Parts: sequence; C-alpha cells; structure tokens
Amino acid sequence: MHSETPHILREFDQAFASLRNEVISMAGQARLNLERAMQGLLERDLEKCKAVVADDDEVDEAELRIDRIGMETLVRFHPVASDLRQVITSMKVASNLERISDHAVNIAKRARKMITRPACPEVPFIEPLYALADQQVRDALSAYTDRNAELGQSLQLRDKDLDKMHKRLIATFSARLEEGGPEAEDFLHLIFVARSLERIGDLAVNIGEDAVYLDSARDIRHEKHRAPAEEEAGE
Amino acid sequence: MVSDSPSAAVPAISIENLRFQYGEKQVIHDVTLDIPSREITAFIGPSGCGKSTLLRCFNRINDRIPGARVTGGSIRVAGIDIARPDLDLQTLRRRVGMVFQKWNPFPKSIFDNVAYGLRIHGEKDRSALEERVEYCLRRVALWDDVKDRLKSSAFGLSGGQQQRLCIARTIATRPDIILMDEPCSALDPLSTLKIEELLLELKNDYTIVIVTHNLAQASRCSDKTAFFFLGKLIEHGPTTKIFTKPDQQQTESYVSGAFG
Repeated sequence: MHSETPHILREFDQAFASLRNEVISMAGQARLNLERAMQGLLERDLEKCKAVVADDDEVDEAELRIDRIGMETLVRFHPVASDLRQVITSMKVASNLERISDHAVNIAKRARKMITRPACPEVPFIEPLYALADQQVRDALSAYTDRNAELGQSLQLRDKDLDKMHKRLIATFSARLEEGGPEAEDFLHLIFVARSLERIGDLAVNIGEDAVYLDSARDIRHEKHRAPAEEEAGE
Repeated sequence: MVSDSPSAAVPAISIENLRFQYGEKQVIHDVTLDIPSREITAFIGPSGCGKSTLLRCFNRINDRIPGARVTGGSIRVAGIDIARPDLDLQTLRRRVGMVFQKWNPFPKSIFDNVAYGLRIHGEKDRSALEERVEYCLRRVALWDDVKDRLKSSAFGLSGGQQQRLCIARTIATRPDIILMDEPCSALDPLSTLKIEELLLELKNDYTIVIVTHNLAQASRCSDKTAFFFLGKLIEHGPTTKIFTKPDQQQTESYVSGAFG
C-alpha cells in the first residue's frame, strides 16, 4: 500500500524525491554504460569502451550519494511503513546498479582487448543474451519506479531463460576454446562477457525482488520458484 | 471484584461494541478490542480521536465527569463486566492503576507517597510497608537514588524521578493493569528512555496500556498498537505490522506523517 498523500513535513517529500531521482539517474547511467560496453564489443568501437571505464566513477559516486541521502532520511525523518521500504529499497537498488555498472566495465575491458585482435565472427552470438539481460534490467527498474510487484516477481522466472541461454553459449564457446587455434583467446573473452551478462540478469532479479518488497512488503528472496511447466512435470 | 490470576490466553481487557458520549456528543463509536495480558498495548491517533477517553473507561474515572457515560457495549476486565452495579469501584481502581501525563506526587514524603495506597487498603504493619515500598522503588529503579532520603518531600525529585515515583505508587497496590496517559510527554529524552525501559521491565508482571502521541515511543515499547480516528478503532495489531505494513490506508498515512 502506498499513499500519494504528501507528508505534513514538506522536507520529507523533498528528501524522497531527491532519493528517487538519484536512483533513476544512476539507473540511466548504469544502463548507458552497459549499452556502450556491448556496442564497443559488437561494433569494435574503442572510444565507447574507454568511455564506459571512465564513466564508472559517476555510478560509484551516485551510489555514495544515494546511501548518504538514505541515511540522512532515516536519521532525520524516521520513516515507517512504505516510506521506510522506499529508503531501504533505494539503497539496495543503488548497490545492485553499481554492480551492474562494474560488469559493464568488465565487458568493456574484454572488448578493448578483443578490438586489438582480428575480428571474431562469433561475437554476434552474444547479442541475444545481451538483449535478454537488458530487458530484465529495464523491467526491474520499471518495477521499482512504478512499484509494480507483479512485474518485479516475474523476473525470477524469466531469469531461468537467461540462464539456459547462458549455458548454451558457454558450451559453444568452451568447445571452440578447446579446439585451440588463434581465436582461442577471443572465446575466453566471450565466456567472461557471457558470464557478466548472466550476473547482470541475477542483479536485475535482485532489483525485481526489492521492487516486490517496496510495493507489497513481501520478501520473496530465497523463495523456491519454479516455472509452471516444471511444476506440472514434477506432479 | 473477583477474577482469576491473569493468563496470556485471557484478554486482560475485553471491549465489545463500546459507545461513549460526553453529553450529546458521541466520542467513541462501536469499539471492539481485546487487550492481551502481560503485554504493552499502545493507543495512537490524532488529538480528539477518543484514545484517552477509552483509557479512562477502563477504571471508570470518566464517571466523575458530568454528562459522560457509556451508551452501549461493554468492557470486561479479567472477565468481569465493569458496569455491574455491584462492582466495587475502589477495588476496580486498585486492580487497574493509572499514571498520568503530568506527574502528580502527593505533598508527602517519598516513602509516604508509595505507602499511601497500601495504608488506604488497610496495611498497618510497619515492616510490611517498608518491605513493599523498597520493592516498588527498586522496581522503578529509584531505590538507589532515594534510599537515604525517604523522609524527604517527593517534590524534591526531578520530573523523571517524580514520574517513576508515581509508577511505584501505582504498582504498590499490586494492580493487574497499568493505564498510562502520555506518561512521558513532559519529560526530557533521557527520562523518557528510562520510563520506557521501566515499562519493558514491568510488562513481565503487568498489563500496560499506554496512550502516546510519540509514534517512535509506541514502536519502541509496545507489543500491540491500536490506531484510533474520530472515535473509531481503525486498526489494531502487532506493533511491527502497524509500523511496517498496516492494512488500512488511514493507518499508513498517520504513522507516515502524511495525514490529511
């Protein structure tokens, strides 16, 4: 339950608006970093890779700002109920966004190394995994900003598709790696890129779980979640 | 009044469809609520919501106000309907003690304040009185401060000490229930915390109902919280739930400071 009724103390509302805006802004920067890292990899664009590494500091600073505003809000206004969940959740979302941006940096660094080598024709294989991970991140952030528990919870199940795709890609790249040859190093890089995208999917699930807690006060972390098809098969 | 010893299973106070009026103005509307034994229940709500009036119904001190009357429903204390015509009000008020917003020690010595209720109820044995006074002053963590000046005036104590003395005076007569009407609203933060610590210690032996405007105090001290608005009980439940995920929008707005 969340009320749009303003608080009697206007500064309370201002602190909340500030917190929310910082998270939205940080989310935009983290997603931009991921997008540029993947463009750097797919389009062999060195400048984009460098920009990701350089701009990661902004995401780190945003995390510090959000934690500071969150702590000040807790100390000054003693929020309760959905207000308290808003503060706690915003701080947790910021932590997950920071880690997403770190994975974008990892991808950019791998891409930077691959750009110095001849183009690897298998690089586009990674694109569907990126599309899925990016969709998860977008939906997780929508679930947080719109307080949409249903959307937040759906991420858990959809992450299984991402995991399956990740496994298939790892199997493909590992097989090519074992074959050896001049492209072996590229496949090693691609395995790490795939691993980062899979972890980004997990972090999106975390944000989705936080959105569920924000909207409905339900803590769904560590709950067993099986796809309907799996449940039927298990019966 | 006859009752069994309190147990956790039987509510200390059971209120059913209670209505209350001051003259023609109805101030409590069909309140139904069970207050569990040996727990702290906090009544919260904006001024004029009826929480203090309800509290004062439990030991019938509203009877003293002209035109104030229960117009429907019932209150049972330890299973006994307190509206019974044969009820001994003095016994009710011994069993249901009360602590007020402004500490109100009698113009007597510290010792005589605590011994007052015991003497009223016929206790004359000096050593029994001394033993009980020491026990009560120890329970409220005042003994070490006052043991060497028991004959001094109670007015020489600080505000927080005087309020703790009033609590000692209340528990001296061995009540089952202690009603507290904003007991810390005139105290400094440290004295407030000492009273809160005392409440948490006392709840092992007493049922405590506290009216407070201090929401942080309600969330710190109470096991259950009841939220009232315009004479109606809006929501009642475990304090953690009321302050984290209340069922009613009005409750959420009130505890969040977004009432309007």
